Amino acid sequence: MTVVTGHNGAGKTTLLEAIGYASTLRSFRGGQKEALVRNGATRAIVRADLADGDRRALVEIEIDPSRRDRVQLNRQRLARPEDLLEALRVTVFTPDDLALVKSGPELRRDYLDTVLETARPRLALVRRAVDRALRQRNTLLRQAGGRLTAEVAATLDVWDTQLAKAGDQLVDARRRLVDALAPPAAAAFGRLTRLVEPLELTYRPSYDPPLLDALAAARPDDLRRGTTTIGPQRDDLLVACGGLDARTRLSQGRQRSAALALRLAAHEVVTDKAAARPVLLLDDAFSELDRATATALLDELGRLGAGQAILTTAGPVPDGIDAALVLQLADGRLTPVPR
Amino acid sequence: MDELGRLPGIGPKSAQRIAFHLLKVAKEDALRLARTIVEVKERTVLCSTCFNIGIGERCAICGDDRRDRTVVCVVEDPRDIVAVERTREFRGRYHVLGGALNPIEGVGPEQLRIRELLGRIDTDGIAEVILCTNPNLEGDTTAMYLARLLRPLGVRVTRIASGLPVGGDLEYADELTLGRALEGRREVDA
Repeated sequence: MTVVTGHNGAGKTTLLEAIGYASTLRSFRGGQKEALVRNGATRAIVRADLADGDRRALVEIEIDPSRRDRVQLNRQRLARPEDLLEALRVTVFTPDDLALVKSGPELRRDYLDTVLETARPRLALVRRAVDRALRQRNTLLRQAGGRLTAEVAATLDVWDTQLAKAGDQLVDARRRLVDALAPPAAAAFGRLTRLVEPLELTYRPSYDPPLLDALAAARPDDLRRGTTTIGPQRDDLLVACGGLDARTRLSQGRQRSAALALRLAAHEVVTDKAAARPVLLLDDAFSELDRATATALLDELGRLGAGQAILTTAGPVPDGIDAALVLQLADGRLTPVPR
Repeated sequence: MDELGRLPGIGPKSAQRIAFHLLKVAKEDALRLARTIVEVKERTVLCSTCFNIGIGERCAICGDDRRDRTVVCVVEDPRDIVAVERTREFRGRYHVLGGALNPIEGVGPEQLRIRELLGRIDTDGIAEVILCTNPNLEGDTTAMYLARLLRPLGVRVTRIASGLPVGGDLEYADELTLGRALEGRREVDA
């Protein structure tokens, strides 16, 4: 494990954010692209020199908020964003992960889709097809202005078919993923909290499959509202403990443990399915944890086996961490701290 | 330079290079280019039958009686005709839709030359329509839309196969392309 220390505002999170960006082409902090570029600068550059055994890869990204990212992998223009995932996979832990359990369904859908794509990068094509078909259908619904002419009906029919084809594939993949995530998540949650009640993950669809029939049934409603009211974009991942909805019925401490369990399970599933161990990015991961949970998390990280991990912390290196390297980040420079 | 920079595929640097080149070349070379551009704009029109680009009322393909008028290849754009013609595999005629269904871009069936295509079915005695729209979401959706309109008219409707590049390796094909190629498999001639 590599530990990066530094004062607040030194840029520790930015460092992890850049590593994550070199894998997914987006920031785990979300937000606008402008936020990725230093104040007063017009663009940001990310360069990552990757070594995995004897495999080397060079990722170079130019982030300019006014246009699309320019990305090169081994000095070749990147054909598809998901090709980067073949070179670098990451699992990110941040204090913001609490929102994964606590907030609305959007973050949980995004969690599932991100894990799916990290495990099987080609699934990004399916997600893009869903997004695109959905945008086309929603635009058509708005243009129809609530009136179903024969032409609108015929055009909706074909967009429904396209959305249903990609949507069923995506939901099917999500369901299988939830089945794969549930056991390791429950096990990790049990060890983190020492609770008897298990953590339960359930995929909750917004419709009865198949999607094509559901879209037909929802059409009058969709026309009136000018948007697609059911589908993969409305589904949720239900997180519960002993039958209680974790979103509203668990203490914040246990919600945090549930979020950690989701991340740990994701790491395990990706490692297993992709046959590649993601780099662990631990952004100030211990700061909000009580002592017992922090110790338990350390055990969990040890359980994940060998692999690269980078931890940031504003304070001293947390107890029990066996750091191979400690780096001090100040004024944009990393310097090794002698021990 | 601003004018040149507006052309597709020409960035500011290329625009500058072309502009300085034009300043340097012999006057007649520059004028020949200018005349060609004027000529293209003044003489070319869309074919009244298939909407390909041509000179005069009918394009060269529609005016060629040796070409089979009962088989029509439907494409999005005149450029696609050039691509299909390069194969020298197709001896039928064409129909240019002028795009693909794309609500985001404001393109519905009304904006495409679909009514004109339907009109040709009877007048030209069309027996087969080959849907040659792009193999992306919008192109596939347009093909599906047309197939649903055309089948009830008793026309044979086919879609170009999409799949593996000739000379390629299965091992390197992505799942989506390979999946489509499997979907579109056919009997081996033996």
